[in-house]
Amino acid sequence: MDAKPQTSVKLVLLGEAAVGKSSLVLRFVSNEFQEHKEPTIGAAFLTQKCQLPNRTIKFEIWDTAGQERFASLAPMYYRNAQAAVVVYDVTKPASFVKARHWVSELHAQASPDIVIALVGNKVDLASDDNGPRVATAEGQALADDEGLLFLETSAKTGSNVQEVFTALANKLPEPAAASAATQETPDHIDLSAAPNKQANCAC
Amino acid sequence: MEEYDVIIYGTDLVQSIVGAALSWQGVSVLHVDKSPYYGGASATLSLTEIKQWVESNNNDPSSPFDDVKLYVSRNIDTSKYSIDLSPRIIFSASDFIDLLRTSRVYRYLTIKPLTMFHTYKDDFFDKLASTKEDIFTDQSITVQTKRALLKFMRFVLNYQSESSLPIWTDFKNRPIAEFLQAKFKIDPIYSNELVYTLGLCPALATPTSVGLHRIKKYLTSMGVFGSFPAMFSLHGGPGEIAQGFCRSGAVGGAVYRLHSDVSSVDPDTQSIVLDDGTNIKYREKLVIPSQQQGSREVRRLVAIVSNDCKPWFGEGESAAVVVFPPGTLEGNETAVQCLIFGAESQQCQSGQAVWYLSTTEKGAKGKKELELALEKLESAILRESTEDFDIEVSEEDVILRNGTPLISSVRLGQSLKDFVPREKLQYLAKLQYVQHETIANPVADNVIPIGSSAFDITYDGIVEQAKKIFSQITGSDDDFFNVDFEDEDEEDIGEVKPLGSTSNSNSNNNSNAEPELTFGDAMEV
Ligand SMILES: Cc1cc2nc3c(=O)[nH]c(=O)nc-3n(C[C@H](O)[C@H](O)[C@H](O)COP(=O)(O)OP(=O)(O)OC[C@H]3O[C@@H](n4cnc5c(N)ncnc54)[C@H](O)[C@@H]3O)c2cc1C
Ligand SMILES: Nc1nc2c(ncn2[C@@H]2O[C@H](COP(=O)(O)OP(=O)(O)OP(=O)(O)O)[C@@H](O)[C@H]2O)c(=O)[nH]1
Ligand SMILES: [Mg+2]
Repeated sequence: MDAKPQTSVKLVLLGEAAVGKSSLVLRFVSNEFQEHKEPTIGAAFLTQKCQLPNRTIKFEIWDTAGQERFASLAPMYYRNAQAAVVVYDVTKPASFVKARHWVSELHAQASPDIVIALVGNKVDLASDDNGPRVATAEGQALADDEGLLFLETSAKTGSNVQEVFTALANKLPEPAAASAATQETPDHIDLSAAPNKQANCAC
Repeated sequence: MEEYDVIIYGTDLVQSIVGAALSWQGVSVLHVDKSPYYGGASATLSLTEIKQWVESNNNDPSSPFDDVKLYVSRNIDTSKYSIDLSPRIIFSASDFIDLLRTSRVYRYLTIKPLTMFHTYKDDFFDKLASTKEDIFTDQSITVQTKRALLKFMRFVLNYQSESSLPIWTDFKNRPIAEFLQAKFKIDPIYSNELVYTLGLCPALATPTSVGLHRIKKYLTSMGVFGSFPAMFSLHGGPGEIAQGFCRSGAVGGAVYRLHSDVSSVDPDTQSIVLDDGTNIKYREKLVIPSQQQGSREVRRLVAIVSNDCKPWFGEGESAAVVVFPPGTLEGNETAVQCLIFGAESQQCQSGQAVWYLSTTEKGAKGKKELELALEKLESAILRESTEDFDIEVSEEDVILRNGTPLISSVRLGQSLKDFVPREKLQYLAKLQYVQHETIANPVADNVIPIGSSAFDITYDGIVEQAKKIFSQITGSDDDFFNVDFEDEDEEDIGEVKPLGSTSNSNSNNNSNAEPELTFGDAMEV
């Protein structure tokens, strides 16, 4: 067992339906890809660790449904999230418009310290003869304006997927720097640990 | 027309639990809430949202909230505060903690320990003598009382056993204080602590059966996850937890629709109409909050103060309970209960604290008692935070533990009578309101009414209520969160230890050698 400190980080994925949010997570968590992944219903929750040289980040990932009909879930997820990944499909300019919308929503509603990555997915499809493409420069410009990390990925080939999460992990504040006040408090209680069953439970 | 098995109106704690439990059984659930936030009457809201909440309540005659008043200082960023409309704390040994574990909703929360339960008496604040060790070392308790207390504690841990029944059955419906006096010769001054502070019972005439249950819960909670009896969740309590269950429900496939009011219900066609005209059918049941008000009410006063209140918290903690038992606030007949949260609870900014005061006393009397309690808290914390002591700390105020001096919270017990604060406590915000109970009245076979349950600062009764509604829908509660979660990440389990058991490794405090004496030990005698 390594003795590196571990920090849990709540991460939320946002973006239009079918841009590949769940596929990115699947690639990151189990290094797999499914050609015909079903749309997410409601939301999904997964965890995955990310090893940095001097600490371990445990991502608690909320994968929201892009077609979530009443937009009632996402606000709940980004409220306490420390990291967000806003995804668009580079072959679908409309999904980039939606990504802009998510970024401003995050700036307005989420914690001011949230670290956001903008991700243009499905670069494997973006060859010359494949119709319109959201230019890399366009994504980069939005990221620069809004202070976001920016990467183009393919969940299919795996290109740049790990990098998205590592870049986020690196940009997250060190726990020590995060808040001097929380340092002295004990770590939170982990309820997955078996409670100490008392010998006296005779009832 | 859109169709679901079950439609649940409202995302208050109980509804959220039921929705999640159903969705994990494959029941199709639509969850509707008229507010743009989760949690209903148990919501956790920012001060900005509280402002809107105050307005919408004043314009809504059907609201269970009444007499709502808000003051907010102009100089604060209202988005940086989280206020619980009905705050609660979790006992370590309770059906609620079991539910958080079996539903795995704990994974969406951050849970912290709460050790300090203070009692106010005769202008003193006392830390509770709540462990065998405390009782033995407390100089102010006579040997006789010590014996009586320990005897009672041994009894209460097993009070439901066959051999214990005869001792208390005659007292079942009589006030617990009477029982403690008659059977254990425990003076009111100590029974107050047992009943109001440990048991957090609000009313003077708490029946013995209820009192025993609650005192036992406190005692068995010590040591379950560490040497503290209670816990709380960061960022807010029931509101945050209700959201946790809605997240779980969403993963289970429930559909959530906020900011949508139900404008009409038709049990005959099993359908509802939403405020935007959408017609939706429910195949099985509709769960809907009752609007019929009962006679009970809880009055609350929430204050955000410019003081970190650290002296009231246990080491490294950021929450405490303070109880004003009956008779301590110019003749109050019901206890005033206070929950204190510091900045690390993520409810307020550093150097500040949120005080939640509540009473079930009605009308002007209740209002006055809350204000009195607030005054007492104010002088207590100012006294406590004063650097230059006018009143000297006497030797009795310092307890030696394994040779290490430890200012006990008995320091709070300096008489407040002669204390004139130099500075005033600043109130950054103050919120007052009354919440009426609502009573579940049957409407139709396929409509399940749900009453409100905000009269307790613990989660007692929540699981029971949720299970009852679950069985009304599915026929039994056998499958209530009986789920085989597939995404089990086992590696986590075993890697972490409960907080109490890590005291050897994570320690720069010097209380390592402190014996872990809890009531578990008392039983072996
Ligand atoms: C410049 C200024 C300073 C004030 N300072 C105080 C103060 O230090 N303490 C105080 O109790 N009242 C203060 N008040 C408010 C004033 O005393 C209230 O009008 C009075 O308390 C009557 O309140 P109410 O119960 O009718 O309800 P409301 O006026 O609706 O107030 C609701 C609650 O908020 C409290 N409150 C209102 N304003 C303030 C405030 N500025 N600071 C703190 N609490 C407030 C009230 O006491 C009450 O409990 C101040 C008002 C002004 C204009
Ligand atoms: N070629 C290619 N296809 C991809 C890539 N990522 C995802 N897909 C495919 O795109 C489709 C949608 O992917 P999902 O991961 O389900 O998308 P989503 O964003 O989670 O969709 P919702 O859950 O509905 O919001 C699936 O058929 C995937 O196989 C990629 O990088 N390249
Ligand atoms: Mg998906």
